[in-house]
Amino acid sequence: MDRSEMMGVFLSEAEELLQLLEMEILNLEQQGDSPQIIQNIFRIAHTLKGSSAAMGFEEMKQLTHEMENILDKIRNQLLPVTQQVVDILFQCLDQLHWLKREIEQEGVTKTNIDSIVHQLRRLENGAEGNPESKSKLFEEKKQIVKMWRCKVRLSEQCEMKLPRAYIVLNHLKKWGSVISSEPELDSVIEETNLNEISYIVKTNADSDALQHSLRQLLDVEDAEVVPFSNDNLADAFLPLTDANKDEETENPIPNQVRKEERKSGHTIRVDVEHLDSIMNLVGELVIDQTRIAQIGNLLRDRYSADETIDDLERISNHFSRIIGEIQESVMKTRMLPVERLFNRFPRMVRDLARSLNKDVDLLLEGKETELDRTVIEEISDPLLHLIRNAIDHGIEEVEVRKKRGKPLKGTIKIRASHQENQVVLTVEDDGAGINAERVKESAIRKQLIAAQDAEKMSEQELIQLIFLPGFSTAQTVSDISGRGVGMDIVRNHIEKLNGLIDVETRPGEGTKFTIKLPLTLAILRGLLIKLQETTFALPMNSVIEIVRISKKEIHSVKGQAVVKIREKILPLIGLHDLFRMSCGKRKTKHVFIVVVGLAEKRLGLVVDELIGSQEIVVKSIGSYIGQVEGISGATILGDGSVALILDVTGVFKLANNLRSIQPQVMDDVG
Amino acid sequence: MKYILEKYYITTFLGSLGGEIVEVSQQDQYIVVELGTEKYALKISEVYEIIKMQKITAIPNSKAFLEGVTNIRGKIVPIISLRKRFQMGETPVTLHKARIVVVNHNEEMIGIVVDGVNQVIKFSDIQPSTEIVSRVDSSYFQGVGQSEEGLIGILNLEHVLVG
Repeated sequence: MDRSEMMGVFLSEAEELLQLLEMEILNLEQQGDSPQIIQNIFRIAHTLKGSSAAMGFEEMKQLTHEMENILDKIRNQLLPVTQQVVDILFQCLDQLHWLKREIEQEGVTKTNIDSIVHQLRRLENGAEGNPESKSKLFEEKKQIVKMWRCKVRLSEQCEMKLPRAYIVLNHLKKWGSVISSEPELDSVIEETNLNEISYIVKTNADSDALQHSLRQLLDVEDAEVVPFSNDNLADAFLPLTDANKDEETENPIPNQVRKEERKSGHTIRVDVEHLDSIMNLVGELVIDQTRIAQIGNLLRDRYSADETIDDLERISNHFSRIIGEIQESVMKTRMLPVERLFNRFPRMVRDLARSLNKDVDLLLEGKETELDRTVIEEISDPLLHLIRNAIDHGIEEVEVRKKRGKPLKGTIKIRASHQENQVVLTVEDDGAGINAERVKESAIRKQLIAAQDAEKMSEQELIQLIFLPGFSTAQTVSDISGRGVGMDIVRNHIEKLNGLIDVETRPGEGTKFTIKLPLTLAILRGLLIKLQETTFALPMNSVIEIVRISKKEIHSVKGQAVVKIREKILPLIGLHDLFRMSCGKRKTKHVFIVVVGLAEKRLGLVVDELIGSQEIVVKSIGSYIGQVEGISGATILGDGSVALILDVTGVFKLANNLRSIQPQVMDDVG
Repeated sequence: MKYILEKYYITTFLGSLGGEIVEVSQQDQYIVVELGTEKYALKISEVYEIIKMQKITAIPNSKAFLEGVTNIRGKIVPIISLRKRFQMGETPVTLHKARIVVVNHNEEMIGIVVDGVNQVIKFSDIQPSTEIVSRVDSSYFQGVGQSEEGLIGILNLEHVLVG
């Protein structure tokens, strides 16, 4: 492994550890002092210290080392967990993030950590000088110094047993003095048989704390701590005392931790590029399979009596089943639980709420929902923005909430769930809601819409104006939101992912944003339609319904074709017109209309023929052709020909342009 | 004396990728393509492959001379029409001689539809292109080659595709 590879491993490990650290510190803040949490934080700091030292990043090592000192104090109850401690830990976390970023971008660390180290030291020394906590400890643990025999069994997979044994030794030295070990580590030459080591330790700690800490160490499969006296020197396998047994059943956590650690041994890190290229290859297979099946059908028609055709069909069916499974498992490997994303929120919400002097509870639901990793990456910013908005604009100040008789603490609920082939994310707050009147005023003032148009709009339509570029109701431009680019960018982001965003709001009760996203971007379910001889694919998730109507039902209002479906007026647009194709001479009395949706907007597309829906592999049309309005890409059909994939956002834009040429306002109809 | 030997062209071209020695002699080899009665030459080293006419999907609302896209071995390849590019008007019937000449442009494959592919030739002399070439804008050419067949305009691919 060369340095750059090691660097990659280090950075991704650091990223994960920092995320974990953030979670644990938040836990600490919410749940208060708990040995388990402190232990977890300690372990993270420790691991980080080890790896940063190995990579030679002195500052990171020093900082984590100082953190360890503090945590050690807390663990030994020499230091109470106060808000001050939590804040300093958060500062440490930020500092570590900085350091990590510097390493990532420049390869060296430059940030000065003196001030934070100084703070840590002061905290640490302050604790030492506090006689009260010291005496308290003394009361609590009236133990005199005792001798323990710590029997440690290393896991079979452990590759470097001797160094590991030394690490255990050093770990024990922190607890007290290690008198001897069996076998004597200095004399060990053959390390492969080094599976069990017994250390004799002199310490004032009690056996289960010691045992617990040993079990937390890497590669330690089991640890047993028994009282040591000269009498049982010969008896290596002393049965556990009753007290110990009780402790064991009471506290199953060490076992759990061990299981998790072992499980992590079965995972590997894979570069996303590899997965992407596998995904591409699978896409090719999907296309080829459809072609094979089609050719099979052709041959069946031609030589129906031939038995070879039966074989071909059998193989073809089997083939398609296997490809389906490969596709599914490749997709699964690209999936990540949305937890990855959610973990970023608690800290942000906490900091933001504090800076705005609001009290906010964050509820996260459906953490285990899995999403394609590209989708997770892309959806992160829009979600962060929605949450920021919810805290900044949504949740009222404590005083206001009091007056309105709401619980003083505001709640933001973020939910993720699967619905059919989609992932639904909701961001809900119990704040003030969106005031339609204010939205209207603001939009008119900023000349986003004409005043007379606004008067005709329904409340729901007015709310939708928040998605217009350049819209913001914030009175002052704060650091957090209110730059006036927000919602517009949020929507663009989501539409780029073939997703939809919707907003529901009730004045005084709160606002709920619903985002619907496809599970994956590489393969989607498309509705194949035909205009004359050309086949197009429409992403199924933007298709609302398909209707067949008689031509007589199409009316013209100010030159705009409309149709009434279930008492609602639906504007119609011929795809032929959008794409400047000559209109096919339809002899039938009926036409097919595909109703597509973009947020709350609906549009009926008149098409010549419906072919059906199928899985399509999304391919780019390349940079030579570049962006084409209304087209998002292309796919290869079963017969080998290319079908263009329609981009619903673009289709709506094209439809709007078309309308502005023929002057008419749709809202007159609605 | 016309002979259509696509396979030959491709193999000689592929051969040129393999070794340096062939390349030297092939530097001055050109593929002659037809457009109605006109003939144009393309440097063989610029040509990736020549395929028979196949189904092309039109892309609405894009470049005027863009014929559309097609599928070549699982890749979506843009196709332009040389006729449209030179504003020559369409042929009344699609010729079965019509070919797609696939070239490499900025790491992207692009197909050019021509009425037919004629032969591989060498030029005894190459002159800078002048106004006399044809009714087509002279910036599309990088020179005029002289051969037994007469004078043939050598296409400037960059200008034909982008300019």
